[in-house]
Amino acid sequence: MSNEVDVFSGSKHESDAAEFETRGVTVFARKPGS
Amino acid sequence: MTASPGVAAVDREELRARIASKYRDVAINPELGFHFHTGAPLAAMLGYPAAVVASLPPGTVESFAGTGNPFLFGDLLPGETVVDIGCGAGFDTLIAAAQVGPSGRVLSVDMTPEMREKTAAGARDMGIAHVEVLAGFAEDLPVAAATADVVISNGVINLCPDKQAVFREMYRVLKPGGRIQVGDILVHREVPQSAKDDIELWSG
Repeated sequence: MSNEVDVFSGSKHESDAAEFETRGVTVFARKPGS
Repeated sequence: MTASPGVAAVDREELRARIASKYRDVAINPELGFHFHTGAPLAAMLGYPAAVVASLPPGTVESFAGTGNPFLFGDLLPGETVVDIGCGAGFDTLIAAAQVGPSGRVLSVDMTPEMREKTAAGARDMGIAHVEVLAGFAEDLPVAAATADVVISNGVINLCPDKQAVFREMYRVLKPGGRIQVGDILVHREVPQSAKDDIELWSG
């Protein structure tokens, strides 16, 4: 699972972030096993 | 300098020094303003509940500089052991500590002394005794194998030139069946190798 947010919008990094379509992301994963 | 696949050709020690300097400022002088958002406005943007943010010490909140929300997919469970990689000022560490409760444990690792001190101070302010603050690097965690029910991290992996090493360490410290709940940044367009190898762009 993952979720993305335009976390650099309005910051001084906004133009760099836009160039590379940069997003803040949260991911969830599970290690195999019990 | 030639990089292995997935490893940027930057001097790791110099990069760590520059990043530590930047985040020393975030810890000590959060009012300076940075190229990235910080503090309560950032937490709101990332979906942290206002009541949770209000429960934390103001000094912890003002130095928050995450890029995601490790708790977005659900709270941690009472009694769980958590490893927070690059805990910074302790924002997520203290939330995790509240969720796992005193029967749980949070091992919080950061390379920047001022950030470690801020995390420890926040835990003291909240009367939390089940947080252990440790000096270390994401690529070489001072944590035994198969320790963690959950690994959290927030805005740290992007600052590490050897990301495969970070993921190996996450996998190593997780128990079988353990979870990774990590916030970071994602680029949808390829970053040129020349940019990856430019140390100035890493610590801006």
